[in-house]
Amino acid sequence: MAGADTSAFRVERSAVGVPRGSADWSGPGSRGPRRRFTWNYFVWSLVWPQRSHRIVPTPAGLVLIGLAMGIGTAAYNSSSNILFITLSLLLACLILSGVLSWLNLRGVSWRLQLAPPFRAGQEAVVALELRNAKNFLPTYGLWFELAARIVADTRDHRPESTWTGRNLDVRKMLAQADAAESRGQLALRSRLDPRGEARLDWVFKPAQRGALRVELASVGSLFPFGFLKKGISTDLRAEVVVWPAPVEYRRHAFAALRRPAGGERVTRAGNGGDLLALRRYETGDSHRLIHWKASARTQTLLVRQDSAESAEGFSLWLQTDAAVWSRPEQFELLVSFCATLAEDLFRAGRLLGVAIDDEPPSPVRRVPDLEAFLDRLAVVRPAGVGGAVPSPREGSFPMRGEGTAPSLNAKQNVMTFAPEGARGVQAYVDGKKAAAT
Amino acid sequence: MSMEKKRPQLSLDELHQLKWLLGGALTLLAVSTVFYMDIEAWALMALTIVTTLACMLWPTLPARVPPLVHVLAFPLIVAFFVGDLWLTASPLPAMVRLDMLLLLYRGVSYRQRRDDLQVIVLGLFLIVVAGVLTVSLVFAAQLLVYTGCALAFLLAVTLVSSAEGAASESGKVKNVAPAWAVHADGGRLARRLREVADWRLVVLGSALFAGVVVVSALLFLAIPRFQLENSLFLDRFMAKKSKTGFNDSIKFGDVTDIQQDTSVALSVDVTDRTQFPVSPYWRMLVLDQYDNGTFRLSPVLRRSAFGTERTDTVVHGEARPRLGAAVTWTFYLESGVSRYLPLLGSFEVLRFREPQNFRLGALVNVLALRDEPLTMSAYRVEGFELSASLPDPTFPAAARRREHNIHTGLSVSAEDHAKLDRLTNEITAGAQPGAAEFAQRAIAWLRQNHSYSMSPTLPPGAGDPLVRWAASREAGHCEFFAGALVLLARNAGFAARVVTGFRGGTWNGYSNSFTIRNSDAHAWTEIYDPTAGGWLRADALELPAAAQGADAKTEAALAARSDRSWSARLDSLRVFWYRRIVSFDQRSQLETLKEVKAAAQSSSRRLRDLLTASVDSLKAWLVEPWSLRRGAKFILIVGALLAAGWAVRRHSRDLWQMLVRGGAARRDDPVRADASRWLERLRATSGGPETAGEVVGELQRLRFGARATWREPEQVFHRARLAWRAARSNRRRVSRP
Repeated sequence: MAGADTSAFRVERSAVGVPRGSADWSGPGSRGPRRRFTWNYFVWSLVWPQRSHRIVPTPAGLVLIGLAMGIGTAAYNSSSNILFITLSLLLACLILSGVLSWLNLRGVSWRLQLAPPFRAGQEAVVALELRNAKNFLPTYGLWFELAARIVADTRDHRPESTWTGRNLDVRKMLAQADAAESRGQLALRSRLDPRGEARLDWVFKPAQRGALRVELASVGSLFPFGFLKKGISTDLRAEVVVWPAPVEYRRHAFAALRRPAGGERVTRAGNGGDLLALRRYETGDSHRLIHWKASARTQTLLVRQDSAESAEGFSLWLQTDAAVWSRPEQFELLVSFCATLAEDLFRAGRLLGVAIDDEPPSPVRRVPDLEAFLDRLAVVRPAGVGGAVPSPREGSFPMRGEGTAPSLNAKQNVMTFAPEGARGVQAYVDGKKAAAT
Repeated sequence: MSMEKKRPQLSLDELHQLKWLLGGALTLLAVSTVFYMDIEAWALMALTIVTTLACMLWPTLPARVPPLVHVLAFPLIVAFFVGDLWLTASPLPAMVRLDMLLLLYRGVSYRQRRDDLQVIVLGLFLIVVAGVLTVSLVFAAQLLVYTGCALAFLLAVTLVSSAEGAASESGKVKNVAPAWAVHADGGRLARRLREVADWRLVVLGSALFAGVVVVSALLFLAIPRFQLENSLFLDRFMAKKSKTGFNDSIKFGDVTDIQQDTSVALSVDVTDRTQFPVSPYWRMLVLDQYDNGTFRLSPVLRRSAFGTERTDTVVHGEARPRLGAAVTWTFYLESGVSRYLPLLGSFEVLRFREPQNFRLGALVNVLALRDEPLTMSAYRVEGFELSASLPDPTFPAAARRREHNIHTGLSVSAEDHAKLDRLTNEITAGAQPGAAEFAQRAIAWLRQNHSYSMSPTLPPGAGDPLVRWAASREAGHCEFFAGALVLLARNAGFAARVVTGFRGGTWNGYSNSFTIRNSDAHAWTEIYDPTAGGWLRADALELPAAAQGADAKTEAALAARSDRSWSARLDSLRVFWYRRIVSFDQRSQLETLKEVKAAAQSSSRRLRDLLTASVDSLKAWLVEPWSLRRGAKFILIVGALLAAGWAVRRHSRDLWQMLVRGGAARRDDPVRADASRWLERLRATSGGPETAGEVVGELQRLRFGARATWREPEQVFHRARLAWRAARSNRRRVSRP
């Protein structure tokens, strides 16, 4: 079977993927609380960079500084006012450079906009929106250092001392941390007009699933003359969940799939033409599904729930026992396989419910249900590692007490997973092989 | 990238073209310093200028340079420099030529960022060297223009780098024309620049550049000054030569050659202008030895009259200190005039700005620097003795010891002696006049027999040329007159010598300084008068006292010499440059600080006095008896003030908004313009229906409100049209009888 094509699968917005602070602008032009003006602060701000500002001379700046020092030495040595004039002009140019740099950054604000879903191994877009609030001065030549890293779960980490951590290969760990981090630089190549806005896109590939933190590490500029590299460190960050990477798998024909008797319909929601039930309208529901008559009668917005055309349905049960999934790469493959199957089954209208470990199963009727499951898959870890150890009951799907839950146990078709060899993962339906990676 | 409001913007290619042009302009500016630097690099300069201009006009030319040139460029340039240094043994000119070669190479190759920085540094080196060597006012102008161009160039470099990002030029092939060079079009670039330019940015840029100039001036004044002992002068690295004829020997025509030059030779500031002589003679050099048409400073006089060489900033002269504040004369001697400093007479103290190596000939009143100054030399003299005679009490004794017999010697043939005897007899008419009397008679005789001409002709024949001229009736210039007078005086038995220097000058009314040009160069005679015990000045070309107006002292004489031409304005700038910039030192710094303090104090005092006087007069006016007229006047004034305040309050914000946000954008908005027109129409038709008020509100929202709050403009205009028609018909109905 070909790999699951998830690009066509549009998910509007991940519930977990809303970037924190996405609506907030930050930067010199953001309308944050302004510091009260004091002469003391003003004078110090002229001679000392602000806390988050860093100014580093560029090679051209070093040349200028060397030139100024050489000319200054020669001026004092020869008492030549010509050299003093040149020195004064060089210093004045440095001051002008600082003033123009300040003017360039003044009134500029930025914010991060993330557009989930993010999938491991697939290109993701982080948008950086810029705004210039100045009235007639444009802004030029900014660049933005962005970083994205998976927020590590530190529950199973323990602090190390020089004694206990003696055998740790710190360099290797640091290299791993660096490798797990994506860094990028966005440059404002054209002019940002006064009262104008611009959008810069950073495209990168998240290496692995998990909670991804995207940070705007710093904003830099060489404007106007390239003598000094001015950097402003920011605390702008956004978090988004990276879903597991889709994987290729092969499907086995299995005879044990329990088919309902002819004409028997499974009471689950689907894309069929028959009305199954009515329920309250929820955000994200299509307006075409609204049952106007019932809504008018009950004075509540109700939507139709149609029954599925196909009666065959599956339930996914992911068991993450650390003892079974001792190899991390195999566990990652398991999660990706599970996510891919979930998406494929949902697209085919054959996904009934999902469960992880001993949690009660959740029905998957709509896209948000699937997204919630994928969000959970993104952060799932082997049970027993730093968390509560579940007590999986092999072969039996956990029961859910809610009335709306499908009676899965009655219908079975529960898809479970088990390692296949040292690397592979096998999916079983009611104990029969159904698919494998 | 999406923009809310898009103005035209230079593309990357256009930025490249602008950068290329600015780099070329920097090269041209830097290389043009050779025009006034007096370094043998004219051919190189011409080549660089022509090549750079060609490459600026046709940016694809560098692509035609063979790759081998780029390979061999660096070794060849280094070899040229080493050879140049070895052959000329003059490091600074060799470095200048090396600099120009590098600029030439950068001009004919496509530059990367580091090459652009090289161009700036190389050009700055040339300009600074030229400034230090010449101390010329041109340097200031050139440095300012260069700074402006360099800042624009750096800005373009930064914008190009930022626009290119990672796709920089590194690794590009030098003999392939880039796209921007292929599509370069100067006219189109100029049009694009005009389109892109925003007048507010241009004004801001100009203001910022003016700010740079002001800040650099303040820094220049504020930088602490102190003198280091081991001074380093760039001119030490240059082989020196004199440009003028004011040397130890003068042939006929040397002074006249100088007179052809009308450039400024000397500027003089004086603290008391009433002390200025009516006809100033600026003595520089005394020439006592004559031989076949050439006067020179004899080794004897050089040995006996000049002291040992000293290095100091202060020179004490022979003049005795006088009571009262001494008049201070500040001289700004241009480079290349002479190493002998012009002086008005004997002096008390002479001070240099920096230590100088010099020899003072106190008795001949000549001060000689060891080296020819290549830059302007400033010195300050206190206590000049302004007299037509120079006391020399030691001369009789020295003459008795035959040390100064050279002053009386005549190295001419017997035939020339006979001619001189005949001429002397004509002058003295057989009498035995004293030195002063003889000088007067000889001058009268010379003026009677010879006229003045800048292009004299020597009569042909054998013998001494000066004797031939004296015996003829040919016209001559100052050297002939002075030389002939010396020969005649010596033949008559008086010690005599030629003195060279300047005579006269003009008073610059703008800078209040005296300007002496090279065209004022002059030669005259000094005859020793035993009765006066000194050397009398005898100038055959001096105007008689009656012609000058003997009573026309100082002020009137200066007024007669006053120069208010355009060249005088330029000269005044030059003097300002010398006074305030070049001669600025620790003392000037303190004086400036004191002046600033005094000016601030006096200004605040004047302001305080003005305020006090105004308040007092207002109080006095208020307590006067009130009349109807005064009341009306008071109401009028208060009303005018209130109206002005209201107008400022009402319109200042709009004006400011129009200034900073661009009035054009709001004016050009068709919806706002239509709303404005409808408001005018509705205002004109009064008495409309009740709905007019609502429509007016909507129109005002369209006219002044934020765009986000607008309703559908077409509907509003439609309702406005209906309201206007209704109001018009209503008015017609009312007006109908």
